[in-house]
Amino acid sequence: MHIRKTLISWGFRATLLGALAGTAMLTTTAPAAAQGLKSYDSSKPSFWKNPPPDWFLGDETQAQKGLAPPVGPATPTPLAELETNLKNIKLPAGFKIEVYASGLPEARQMAWGANGTLFVGSFGATNVYAVTNANGKREVKTILKGLTMPTGLAFRNGALYVIAIDKLLRYDNAEANLDHMPKPVVVYDDMPSYVAHGWKYLVTDKDGAMYIPFGPPFNVGIPPTSVSQIRRVHSDTGLAELVAVGVRNSVGGDIDPRSGDYWFTENARDWISDDLPSDKLNHISRLGQHFGYPYCHQGDLPDPKFAMGHSCSEFTPPVVNLGAHVAPLGMKFYNGAMFPAEYKNNIFVAFHGSWNRHQYQGARIERIVVDADGKNPHQEIFAQGWLTGKQDYSGRPDDILLAADGSMLVSDDWAGAIYRISYAK
Amino acid sequence: MTRRYDPLTLISFRDFIRCLAVLFAALSLTPTAWAAAGDVEAGRARAQTCMVCHGAQGISQMSGVPHLAGNGDQFLQWQLVFYRSGRRQNPVMNALATNLTDADIRNLGAYFASLPPPGTSPVANPDAGLVAQGQAITTQRNCAVCHTDTFVGAAAAPRLARQRPEYLAKALSDYRSGTRPSLGLAAMTEASAGLGDADILAVAQFLATVP
Repeated sequence: MHIRKTLISWGFRATLLGALAGTAMLTTTAPAAAQGLKSYDSSKPSFWKNPPPDWFLGDETQAQKGLAPPVGPATPTPLAELETNLKNIKLPAGFKIEVYASGLPEARQMAWGANGTLFVGSFGATNVYAVTNANGKREVKTILKGLTMPTGLAFRNGALYVIAIDKLLRYDNAEANLDHMPKPVVVYDDMPSYVAHGWKYLVTDKDGAMYIPFGPPFNVGIPPTSVSQIRRVHSDTGLAELVAVGVRNSVGGDIDPRSGDYWFTENARDWISDDLPSDKLNHISRLGQHFGYPYCHQGDLPDPKFAMGHSCSEFTPPVVNLGAHVAPLGMKFYNGAMFPAEYKNNIFVAFHGSWNRHQYQGARIERIVVDADGKNPHQEIFAQGWLTGKQDYSGRPDDILLAADGSMLVSDDWAGAIYRISYAK
Repeated sequence: MTRRYDPLTLISFRDFIRCLAVLFAALSLTPTAWAAAGDVEAGRARAQTCMVCHGAQGISQMSGVPHLAGNGDQFLQWQLVFYRSGRRQNPVMNALATNLTDADIRNLGAYFASLPPPGTSPVANPDAGLVAQGQAITTQRNCAVCHTDTFVGAAAAPRLARQRPEYLAKALSDYRSGTRPSLGLAAMTEASAGLGDADILAVAQFLATVP
């Protein structure tokens, strides 16, 4: 599962207040109960709509008890400190990493505007940023505020699209209006307002349709029928197709330039163990595939409670099991001209890193070499060094975007920064 | 305004007015220029406003206002970020934090973290029964896991030892009701869930008297 330090955005919090106040009134005179294992009944709409702030602890086990998402820096990491951190990042020979922009709290998905503006979403910070180049000077502006987890965004036909939990918003003529963004048009809102795993990612295909993931509003359980799926939303008409089901929390994907197929990363359930189950890279090769959740994890592990008689062979297996608790988020096929030829059509995945594991892993960029049909996968580390202790980070990569020159941008929501990775012989 | 009637809120109306006066004085200040991260001296210069309520050297003499001295840098910074964004509500602190830059916040965190913590307990005559009851609850709730065995705190978990008891009680009450955002995602929401008012007062009494 992918969870952030500031999951509780103000909007989310406000929706919780009523329920919590009620709870508090009931419990003010109760004696302090022993602190056993946390357990929530997450099977009810009341839980989906108003989850407790610690909803992700609801399936706690003795072995994993005490693990909780790490607290990141309160403010974006200053430039000088970022530059020091990047000295510890290891890359293959010939590659270089540098700070592209800093001071973007909780920076998430990135997208290019047609005129070279870099748009960046955020998590609990509620902001959308624009990074512009004026007179050779790079500038970061906060162009939108107060959105509920605007993690995903896209740019098409002059408009910026932002997805904020249950609304796909379109801001027309965005690049000309960075200092005063227009009122958005709601393109699509047939989406549940569940905040738990409700933060999203946008990938536009050649038809201008947008792939949108819907995560379940809990760790594991039989999901509401409106989620645990991927939809393809036509941004012109607002019509939506259901393209995949049985998906847990996906916050990254891309179109394979070889086939036009959609591939996506998926974060596996928590609270089984440090090493199970693995997070996944999936490929949608036909409409309506079922990827296993909640019945089967990592292609071969029936859920101890929710397998419900199903066998793993009924479901589409992952292309690659990426590792347990690595938290794969944004990904891109490499189709730029800068990196050596062997990187052509490789997939780069941003591993955000663990919280529900005693020894963290992830917080790196992974390289996947795989055929267009998903055969012959090979996985290796591309960039690492943000993991600075057993349970500590100097940064957490969460999205990848290619620049026109073929270099790679990486967003980091822990440090509130964007990095640029380039190659020269 | 419901907080004014909260039985666990012990800040007096007079103190509230004093803080408001500080607030209006502070609004005329301009944000400082960018400085290196966590500069103690820059933090000291910026902290003069804070001292009016939080006390010289960050040891508060005002009911309901916490000691800041010796707290974790990260904890202090997060509270200022919460106040600045409005996620933590307090009329005085929200207004004071509005104009803070990220650099101000890092400097203030570094400064108050650098000050020596209170040398004595704010409770002159502790109630032994209440202290024992509070200690039992902190054991049961695993408070030491984040706040350390001596309750001096670490990283984002604040120092609790010798903190003012009426502030501790208010903090626990606010976490319990969800009106204050918890760090560690929801660590304090979990830790405070189901505590009764009497439990909270006992925990506050114990922590305020930790040697």
